[in-house]
Amino acid sequence: MGREKKFTLGDFFIYFAFVLIALFILLPIYKVLVDSLDLKSGYGMRLWPESFSFLGYKIILTTKSLYQPFLISVLVTGVGTLMGLAIVTLGAYVLIQWDMPGRNFFSYFLLFTMIFEGGMIPTYLVMRQLKLINTLWAVILPMSMSVYNLVLMRNFFEGIPGSLLEAAQIDGCSPIGIFFKVVLPLSKAALASIGLMFGVAFWNNYTNFKLYISNRDLYNFQMKLRDMMQGSDMVNTSEAIATNTLNNAAVIVAILPFMIIYPFCQNYFVQGVNVGAVKE
Amino acid sequence: MSKQKSTPTRTSGKSIGVRIYYYRWFYVMALPVLVLVTLFNYLPMLGIRYAFYDYKPIGTPAFVGFKHFQTLFSRDAFWTAFFNTLQISVFKLLLTTLLAVVVSLMLNEMRNILAKKTFQTIIYLPHFLSWVVAASVFSLILSPSDSGLVNAFLKQIGVLEAGQEIYFLASKQWWRLMYYIIDVWKDTGWGTILYLATLAGISPDLYEAAEMDGANRWQQLRFITLPALYNTIITVLILNLAKVLNLFEPVFVLYNEAVYDVADVLQTYIYRQTFGVGVPNYGYTTAVGLFKSLVACMLVLACNWASKKVRGRGIV
Repeated sequence: MGREKKFTLGDFFIYFAFVLIALFILLPIYKVLVDSLDLKSGYGMRLWPESFSFLGYKIILTTKSLYQPFLISVLVTGVGTLMGLAIVTLGAYVLIQWDMPGRNFFSYFLLFTMIFEGGMIPTYLVMRQLKLINTLWAVILPMSMSVYNLVLMRNFFEGIPGSLLEAAQIDGCSPIGIFFKVVLPLSKAALASIGLMFGVAFWNNYTNFKLYISNRDLYNFQMKLRDMMQGSDMVNTSEAIATNTLNNAAVIVAILPFMIIYPFCQNYFVQGVNVGAVKE
Repeated sequence: MSKQKSTPTRTSGKSIGVRIYYYRWFYVMALPVLVLVTLFNYLPMLGIRYAFYDYKPIGTPAFVGFKHFQTLFSRDAFWTAFFNTLQISVFKLLLTTLLAVVVSLMLNEMRNILAKKTFQTIIYLPHFLSWVVAASVFSLILSPSDSGLVNAFLKQIGVLEAGQEIYFLASKQWWRLMYYIIDVWKDTGWGTILYLATLAGISPDLYEAAEMDGANRWQQLRFITLPALYNTIITVLILNLAKVLNLFEPVFVLYNEAVYDVADVLQTYIYRQTFGVGVPNYGYTTAVGLFKSLVACMLVLACNWASKKVRGRGIV
């Protein structure tokens, strides 16, 4: 009898386990969502808001010290992702020019950074010497050059059939022409995949902000959220809403942009991992 | 067989001058990468010399030899951080790997495509949330106040009484367990991707043949599926082992003063010693960082060696 037909006890167990796992993952997020819509704190085990209201979200949208960090997150994510994609794509294309003098040096120059690093404090001191502390470049520049993403992009490029590149070359296409007319159009999926990785990394960035940005006007939303959670930043001036509710709403705002695109882009994320690691 | 390598190009066999001219624009293309890597990866390496200097924000650095290393080896807080780093990161690596393998095997047995896709979408999700968000979500859920779900639940079922609320994230007994749970929540699902790719690559013929020979599902799992996963598991362990000492953000956003003994790791120790004291001595914290980098470097090389042994190619 085939594997396909019977619904066995084993199957039942698997589905049961999956329901539990899905609950474990979704319940915390659901609970935060529900509590963000509840004016009164003391939520306990409530799974539905007692006094329903969007006030928390309204406060975030209308308070400058709350929407400004959000806009900074948008700015850094946008600029960083575009810069990162441009830099990494160019670098990866150089890495597949096997015949180019200096190509091997370039490759080892990049790989060595994966083995050894200066560390947190020397990097901080360099940032200070470059006068980048308390500028958004301190956050954007180091992250837009990701060796990992560059290697990933190279792996994608290597999947382009050599015969195509050859044909373009025979037709008299210059290397730059090949890049724009053959390689890039064939790499839309790769660009989407790596662009999303950059996007998520920039949106979620906390450590670089914590290290290099102390000016509160330049905080991104992650920094703001952290301060709110630690109670070191009293943004709630309204009597009508519990501070906890506002914090819950801030968590939801921090994950909302991702939640909107995630269902449509999930495959690109998965593709990136597989090309990066399974490649032989 | 790597095709690009063997493809004769216009410049094959030409002199180096001709080739450099032919590829001239590529040097321009490589420039942004070279500049950024030099500035943010190589310049900091030069800064490592401060490990041998007294370097305060004000005044010129003074050479002090190995003084900082003597200091750090004699400090309990350093050794606590060092052993915490190893314990926390190795245990979480083993735990998330084991659970990811189990979940992938279960997913692989799931025959309803829609259910499988839905479940994958759910379990990948937390990986993309920031650690700040993860820490916020769980500190809200685990809060000892009357807003915390977990404490409310424990009171409801009678495990706890009012006034006995547990401070999960501020208690030495609970912190590590909570850390592992949050880590599992966040990254186990994502960890299944590589195993699923491997499982998808196993030829269905193998299972058919096994079935002909009368092997049941458990035997198929034991003799076909698990051996196929073995290589991927080793690869994942090796790749991640090389990075364990860099643990920073997850701990940084989840720990607090009450749990330093069980939670402090090298990177958070360095951070606090630099930015959490009145006058930081960059020399001392650079020395801690250098020690960390050297151990990490040895780990990478050891893992690279192991990787070549096990799967025939290195990790770097």
